[in-house]
Amino acid sequence: MTDTIVRPGPAATRDSRRAPRRRRRREWPGAVFVSPHLLALALFMLVPTVYAVYDSLQTTQLIGGTHYSGLANYRTVLHSAQFWEGVRRVLIFTAVQVPVTIALAFFFAAVFDAGIVKYSRFFRTVFFMPFAVPGVVAAVMWSFLLLPDFGPYAKVAQSLGFGHVDFFSSKLILPTIVVIVVWEWTGYNVTILYTAMKSLPQQVTEAAIMDGASLRTIILRLKLPMVRPTIVMLCFLNTVGALQLFTEPSILAAFQPQAVSYGFTPSLYVYNTAVGSGDYNLGAAAAVVLALIIGALSLGAFAIRKRAGEFR
Amino acid sequence: MSKKDRTSDTVPIHLYGLRRGTVTVVTLICGLFAAFILAPLLWLLINATKTQANVYGTPGFWFARPFHLFQNLSALGRDVSGAGVYLQWLGNTLLYAGSAAIGATLLSAMAGYGFARFGFRGSNALFYLVMSTLLVPITSVALPLFLVYAKVGLVNSVWGMILPSMVSPVGIYLMRTYIDASVPRDLIDAARMDGAGEIRIFLRIVLPLTVPGLVTVLLLTVVAVWNNYFLPLIIFSRNRLYPLTVGLSSLSHAAETGSKAELVPVLIAGGLVTILPLIVLFLFLEKYFRGGALQGSTTG
Repeated sequence: MTDTIVRPGPAATRDSRRAPRRRRRREWPGAVFVSPHLLALALFMLVPTVYAVYDSLQTTQLIGGTHYSGLANYRTVLHSAQFWEGVRRVLIFTAVQVPVTIALAFFFAAVFDAGIVKYSRFFRTVFFMPFAVPGVVAAVMWSFLLLPDFGPYAKVAQSLGFGHVDFFSSKLILPTIVVIVVWEWTGYNVTILYTAMKSLPQQVTEAAIMDGASLRTIILRLKLPMVRPTIVMLCFLNTVGALQLFTEPSILAAFQPQAVSYGFTPSLYVYNTAVGSGDYNLGAAAAVVLALIIGALSLGAFAIRKRAGEFR
Repeated sequence: MSKKDRTSDTVPIHLYGLRRGTVTVVTLICGLFAAFILAPLLWLLINATKTQANVYGTPGFWFARPFHLFQNLSALGRDVSGAGVYLQWLGNTLLYAGSAAIGATLLSAMAGYGFARFGFRGSNALFYLVMSTLLVPITSVALPLFLVYAKVGLVNSVWGMILPSMVSPVGIYLMRTYIDASVPRDLIDAARMDGAGEIRIFLRIVLPLTVPGLVTVLLLTVVAVWNNYFLPLIIFSRNRLYPLTVGLSSLSHAAETGSKAELVPVLIAGGLVTILPLIVLFLFLEKYFRGGALQGSTTG
């Protein structure tokens, strides 16, 4: 990549036969400009990942220290009912939260783009605001807003005739977290989709209007297919984020300890195993399994889309 | 990006053949969602002015006497819970977000320029490698990072937080797109003809032409680091090094379990002070954030 020797060495001669000398002069700075970031990427992403795999194959004992133990940690993780419970929960969470977020975001982006909303600038700004709110602060706010008995939302539910509602009961805790995450991320998705729609050519829309197409047709038959790549990308980003759900349940656990278990989500399992119990080897194994699950889902989705003719 | 943005109403409404009521209905739906978004922020603002008894005992969406805002704010400068001092966390966050953002912007600008204006061998493969890390957010690397830090002595080190935050695939993507659009190849070639060195060209020609893109990457990185929770939670064990997110989390544990009164309104005031800087930043520099949404218009 960086065989930038001034004397044409053996590696460079092959090159000079293929391209004139001036091209080569254009090549080396590119590699140099790219290298600092790639170095950081290697040091802070690739090396830790490799090390995690190595660490997950070891076992540390009080007596005898650390030794190679093969796949023992993986067996422990895969036999842990808690871990699989968390995986199941986070899959359900993702299957609900991601479609809801993207459907809402598409609706709002489409009506803003069509210009059929008054004060749309104000709304766009307000919707984007939660992007500036850390998940920790969001979870703290919602913990108080949804307090059983005292909280304003529980009072509203009571006055609407729902009786005593506990948003943190085992039945409602997952929908509650869905609401919090939808609150956090919808506006960000609106902004991205809106920008994508704004960059579509105007003539197509105008031609469709001339042909007497209804607004619904324009949005669903014209704009939706055109922003499909953006929607696919947002699906990926939102899904990867949702599968790593950690911040919200871990903060809720401070206020509602009964609602959030040790392995409520796989990320919580990893954290509580490694940091809480100090078993780093087992935590690393769980982290690798979680990364593999996320990777498998991403690749699976990719393969399906590719067969369906996306990503040409 | 520039001209297209300013036409807020693209098409006159009557052309769609819509009934007049439709606009009202859609605007009402937006209003409802805006209320859903604003309610928690309003609650935060109101309850930062209350005493602990009033947070639990008075209606959440209205003020109550005594007005306790200044007591709550001044408590942010003291260690009220034993978890640490809020102002110190604020300072740490400014340090982490500021340095990481400057680093990420510089690295992204260099790499974006390298990918956009040079065709070196393997550049496409490398670019796809960088983009594939978009699917691996820093949260999933946090525990492995900690394990490596434990080996090389970066646990409880400021660098352990700042350096990984400089890796920004989105930043590279944005800068590559932006440089492609706004730095003419002829200009660079002309400068080369005049004998300018590559580094000089980058500093004197490329950077000045891409200032809006640089600001966007800077802002997005500031927000990302400001809101990051998992990484600092794992790598810091001393509360003097906590950023705001981890500090507020430990404060909320103290508020819930501790017997000390008056911690809850301090926590709420702390949350308010945490989000205000970002909201202000966002209101004043909104157009740069919207530039960041360009990552949505994938060029494939």
